[in-house]
Amino acid sequence: MSKPKVGIFGITGCGGCQLEILNLEDQLLDLVNAVEIVHFTEAITEHSDNYEIALVEGSITTEHDVERIKKIGDIAKIIVAVGSCAVSGGLNCLKNLYGVERAKELVYGDKKDWIDSIEVKPIDEYIRVDYYARGCPPNRLEIVDIIRSLIIGRKPEIPNYPVCVECKRNGNTCVYDIGITCLGPVTRAGCNSRCPSSATGCEGCRGLIDDPNINAQKDLLAENGLTVEDIINQFNLYNACKKVEAKESSK
Amino acid sequence: MLYKVMGRDVFKDFVKSLISNYEFIGPKRKDKAVHDFVPIKDISELDINYKRTTIPPAKKILFPPDEKLVAYEVNEKIKVRPVVESSEKVLFGINAWDINGMNFLDRFFVTDFVDENYLERRKKLIVIGMDSEPTETNFSPSMDSEYAKDGFDLYITELKDRYFIRINTARGDEILKKYSVTENALVKDFKDYNNYMDNYRKKFKLDVNIKDFYDNFELIYDDDEFWEKVAKNCYSCGSCNLACPTCFCFNVKDDIELNLKDGNKTREWDSCMLPEYGLVAGGHNFRPDKENRLKQRYRCKLKTFLDKFGRYACVGCGRCIEVCLAKINIADNINSIKKEVSV
Ligand code: SF4
Ligand code: SF4
Ligand code: SF4
Repeated sequence: MSKPKVGIFGITGCGGCQLEILNLEDQLLDLVNAVEIVHFTEAITEHSDNYEIALVEGSITTEHDVERIKKIGDIAKIIVAVGSCAVSGGLNCLKNLYGVERAKELVYGDKKDWIDSIEVKPIDEYIRVDYYARGCPPNRLEIVDIIRSLIIGRKPEIPNYPVCVECKRNGNTCVYDIGITCLGPVTRAGCNSRCPSSATGCEGCRGLIDDPNINAQKDLLAENGLTVEDIINQFNLYNACKKVEAKESSK
Repeated sequence: MLYKVMGRDVFKDFVKSLISNYEFIGPKRKDKAVHDFVPIKDISELDINYKRTTIPPAKKILFPPDEKLVAYEVNEKIKVRPVVESSEKVLFGINAWDINGMNFLDRFFVTDFVDENYLERRKKLIVIGMDSEPTETNFSPSMDSEYAKDGFDLYITELKDRYFIRINTARGDEILKKYSVTENALVKDFKDYNNYMDNYRKKFKLDVNIKDFYDNFELIYDDDEFWEKVAKNCYSCGSCNLACPTCFCFNVKDDIELNLKDGNKTREWDSCMLPEYGLVAGGHNFRPDKENRLKQRYRCKLKTFLDKFGRYACVGCGRCIEVCLAKINIADNINSIKKEVSV
């Protein structure tokens, strides 16, 4: 069996997701043995356009990004979005809340016309994405699981249940019991309840589960003293590109 | 059963000896909300005056949330090795309803199929029970679980100036003889103990009308309106299952290393409240809606095991009420079911 060729790309993001891959430590050697890495924006200078699997970090925020992502989409057979920015647009989407022109003006003042900037979108708005390694930063073990699953030809196991499950498996105190609010009940697990495990509320960086009970979550946040505006802000931190609307009856 | 009494100082020394001679698991304060059962190295860490614990202690030890079952190696030949991790432990300070929850798991894991991993750990677990303060959501007297009849080696009850000890196994008797000095319990001790139990039972405030409930669950089973109302705010988060001392469902996963040679089969806690629990190959889901799932959970607790083991799969610990952010309350719901079906 020849080793699959893999390209690891950074579009617009902080680079932290690629760093998570570099931080694999124990498993990095096994990874390099299992696949052939032909491009790694943050780690190697060599580059080849011959790859089957693309791992993409970052969201699409410039015309140049659009060109790059389309090219990757044309070449790769399998595309994995890595991290919140690639998956759902991530924090970058906060720009959209101001509007592109206003945001450019706020940041670059009278030099704003020099800047190539468009409305922020996750990569699946431009190309087909096969798998999503969610999170900010993503869980490196999940990235490994996706790669390993692709090699042996099975579906990666990506949870479609809320963070509360992992909190229970980890024996955590629910942060609501110590007066902190949390988006865990509607947020997709897979982070090993990283934030609640350190007594911090979940901010929803992995996005929503498939069938979230948004109405119940809104009631819960309101009961814990949040205003409608606070609640929208909570949901929007990582999900501003994917609008959250309350369904009438939440099934 | 043998009955002894022990003085206060003797008790303290007894606990100290257990801590230094065994792998000792006991309650320790975790934060302002809960206690947790963890390995104790010094008596100062132990806090037997606990009220709320998140994950039931016996379940955590005997049926851990994440457990390796099989390790394998793929070379020219495939080598497969069962993994059973167990060691002798003292579980100290577990209360009566959690012992009753463990008794349920004991029965589940040896009926129909014997779970070697569970059984190995259970045999090596020395159980020393003690009463704890019930929480506001506890209704264990309604479920006949505020008192442990069996399942423990020793059960120690604190009376005013001494401890009343019920010895239920030869192992418990040996440990007591080896590490402490006791006296036979006399009529007066029994009287004080009965008195204590009367007062203890008064501390449980929540009353659930489950008497003669038996077959009545069937009458509510098809009432969609009832289940829709009850499940409306459910997040399908599984917390109620995972925190329950009698919930035993698990999922087995295949973890192969990146070297594609070594791998494990591991099991992790699963929950019937999660949408994917009822999903089968081909994409069909037996319980696609939260109403169906909640109904299934209640049926498991209140009917399935009544038919199978002659007892409810609920000890009334109240944890599923405490952890449910949607405020779905099994005690209230049993009362409403009882009301609906008795018209
Ligand atoms: S801390 Fe958050 S994720 Fe954990 S159980 Fe509570 S609500 Fe759920
Ligand atoms: S804990 Fe409550 S919200 Fe979560 S699955 Fe159970 S009933 Fe539903
Ligand atoms: S169903 Fe609820 S009250 Fe009953 S044993 Fe389980 S967690 Fe405790």
